Amino acid sequence: MKSKFLKLPIILFFIILFIFFYLLIIDRNPAKVPSALLNKNVPSFVTKTLVKNEKFSSSKEFGDQVTLVNFFATWCKPCKDEHGFIMRFSSEKNIKIVGINYKDNPKKAIEWLKKLGDPYSSVALDKNGKIAIDWGVYGIPETFIVNSKGIIKYRHVGAITPKIYKKINLIIKEIE
Amino acid sequence: MVPTLGNLALWLSLVFAGSQFYNTRKKNKLKIISISVIGLLISSLFSFFLLIYLYAISDFSVLNVFQNSHTTKPLFYKITAVWGNHEGSMLLWIIVLTIFNYFIFKLYNKKNFIFVSKTLEIQSFIALGFIIFTILTSNPFERIIPVQENGLGFNPILQDPALAIHPPLLYIGYVGFSAAFSISVATLVLENGKNFPWYKYMKPFVMVAWTFLTIGIALGSLWAYYELGWGGWWFWDPVENASFMPWLLGTALLHSLIIVEKKQSLQTWVLLLSILAFLLSVVGTFLVRSGILTSVHAFALDPTRGVYILLFIAILGGYSLILFNSKSKIYSTKNYFNFFSKEGSILVNNIIMIVACATVLLGTIYPLLIEALTGSKISIGEPYYNSTVVPIMLPAILIMGVGPILSWGKESVLKIAKKVSSTFIITLTMTIIIFSIYKSYTFLGIAGIVLAFWIIFNNLTTLYRNKFNNLTGTVVAHLGVGFLMLGITASSIWQVEEIIKMKLKSKTEINKYQIVFNEINEIKGSNYLSLRGDFLVYDKGKNIIARLKPENRFYPVTGNFTSEASIHTNLFRDLYIVLGEGNVNEGWTVRLYYNPLVAWIWIGAFTIFLGGIISINRSLKKIPK
Repeated sequence: MKSKFLKLPIILFFIILFIFFYLLIIDRNPAKVPSALLNKNVPSFVTKTLVKNEKFSSSKEFGDQVTLVNFFATWCKPCKDEHGFIMRFSSEKNIKIVGINYKDNPKKAIEWLKKLGDPYSSVALDKNGKIAIDWGVYGIPETFIVNSKGIIKYRHVGAITPKIYKKINLIIKEIE
Repeated sequence: MVPTLGNLALWLSLVFAGSQFYNTRKKNKLKIISISVIGLLISSLFSFFLLIYLYAISDFSVLNVFQNSHTTKPLFYKITAVWGNHEGSMLLWIIVLTIFNYFIFKLYNKKNFIFVSKTLEIQSFIALGFIIFTILTSNPFERIIPVQENGLGFNPILQDPALAIHPPLLYIGYVGFSAAFSISVATLVLENGKNFPWYKYMKPFVMVAWTFLTIGIALGSLWAYYELGWGGWWFWDPVENASFMPWLLGTALLHSLIIVEKKQSLQTWVLLLSILAFLLSVVGTFLVRSGILTSVHAFALDPTRGVYILLFIAILGGYSLILFNSKSKIYSTKNYFNFFSKEGSILVNNIIMIVACATVLLGTIYPLLIEALTGSKISIGEPYYNSTVVPIMLPAILIMGVGPILSWGKESVLKIAKKVSSTFIITLTMTIIIFSIYKSYTFLGIAGIVLAFWIIFNNLTTLYRNKFNNLTGTVVAHLGVGFLMLGITASSIWQVEEIIKMKLKSKTEINKYQIVFNEINEIKGSNYLSLRGDFLVYDKGKNIIARLKPENRFYPVTGNFTSEASIHTNLFRDLYIVLGEGNVNEGWTVRLYYNPLVAWIWIGAFTIFLGGIISINRSLKKIPK
């Protein structure tokens, strides 16, 4: 081995350590993602819809009623777990839900919705994850509540559990 | 009284570790060193057993017991709860460390006094680091005042036999690499030169670490398979990656050691690998314990712990890698190998394992890197790993099918072709047969199945031809990899999944099996309430072949819900049912999976483990006396 290469492990090692250290000392909690978007307007975006491949424009979709925004993908196992709750929001509570299909195969997603039921008023495609970045999505599933003025009021990271289901219902009642 | 005693034992182990460090450094007499080593072993074991005792009698004056146990818990799970939490598992880490420390001590003979002393010095430094960490930030014997009436319970999802023994096995793996690390650092410090057989001392430790890491990871995966209820067995969770990365490096290390043993070349490389394997093990612990990442293994989050472990890693890594940089040159050789030879194939395998490990490392820390640089958060999921790690590993598997039958030195291509011709034919036939059954053709699927049969039959013929010899362990382990490949590929590409709403007495079909939702009952378990479904499974001939009883459990103490999948297994397929949300009027959401050949994953892992055990035995005999 050349002596140049012998230094490589040390350099890489300290770069990685430095990143870890930086993240440790700055004030952050990985479970509670800082919601810079809370109480702000929905980030605007234009994309296609999943099933019919029509134009999807955020300015038209948000701002007339309380809307849930749910980021999901077929490869994301927890998404499957929470799907029952999303269905219930739609069928029992009659809430408008916009789905955002994150980095997924559209064909699989369509099949998935056929199998599990489709609670979404429309599903926007986010093939390369750009929309998710604008929304500050950390990991999917993630669910947002947008009020009737198009302002984000709540965000939940991770799958919806019975507890969160109740919480979201309460929040929706409050802002309605 | 008992908690104080436990605390005392922990402090005593600190004293013994310190005295081991001092005495080995001063090269004091063997007798003095032996007192430290044995004292360390006994005091750490004693404190560990005291903690187990505190759990067994449910002493809720101890914070750790209060937080993680409950009187309604079965005794077995009271005991395993000891290492189901951060503080207790650190204690487990320490006792495994001191046990390995003792085995290093047992290597002493007249000729290697300086070498073993140096190794023990490094080892005691590692022990000191972890004992101080435990005492300062994670003391399991901390008291709580006033004494609590009952405990907070224990995450019920962890209340499981496979998971009960998963951490100890995994820790034998992680900590086993500490011995390799110490030997490597000692070799570099002492500059004994190429002719001192340090690698013969290192090999048994690497074998033990790798073998137990393998079975530990497999058990964790088995647990995820039947407990998480998602029908899969590997999720590329950061914690899974944290154990997978040292495993990949361990695999490279293990194989490189064979070359070192035979040819004395590649020593520099092995010295580096053994340092990295342990560093990655500790980094894995850091990732899990510091709360820097979120994952299913949510241990208590505490930034001071993270900073401490990080500092310790910086000292260990900084020292060993700088040492490597300055002193490794005397171990390097300019031996080049022929590509078509055993050593050539091992070298290629090495490169692939390193690349795969780097890829997993990148996927695990990339989100952290981006966050540190830009402040925004991203997530990396299955798609990344499936499209990178899987294709990287395929050639390694291909080579694995050929490598062991090649000779050392040089081999002609024609000779190789002769050796493998019969296996080639069997593989082809089996592949055609299996694809005529499943009729699903994807590139990765075909490649995976062909390679799996290739490896299985190659190793079976070798096993048959050679009877029991030096290579038996290797051949058995490789056979296990073949089984593993078969299971992984088949269950990945041919899995059938159905998610439907089922009412009582309704029927559904999955892959030629008819499933009838017979009844649903409320059951009272030892510390949970449960809703248990009863599903009848009929085959084509309308015979009942299984009754599956998936459950939804509620644990009142912690308020958790868990779903218990019910699985019917045979060698050809698993039928897997999960009961979801629902009620009598609308029916229940039911998830059904048909997982072909998935049992071969566990058979494979166990076969690899068996091969490892055989090889450990052999490498023990080769330790210079």
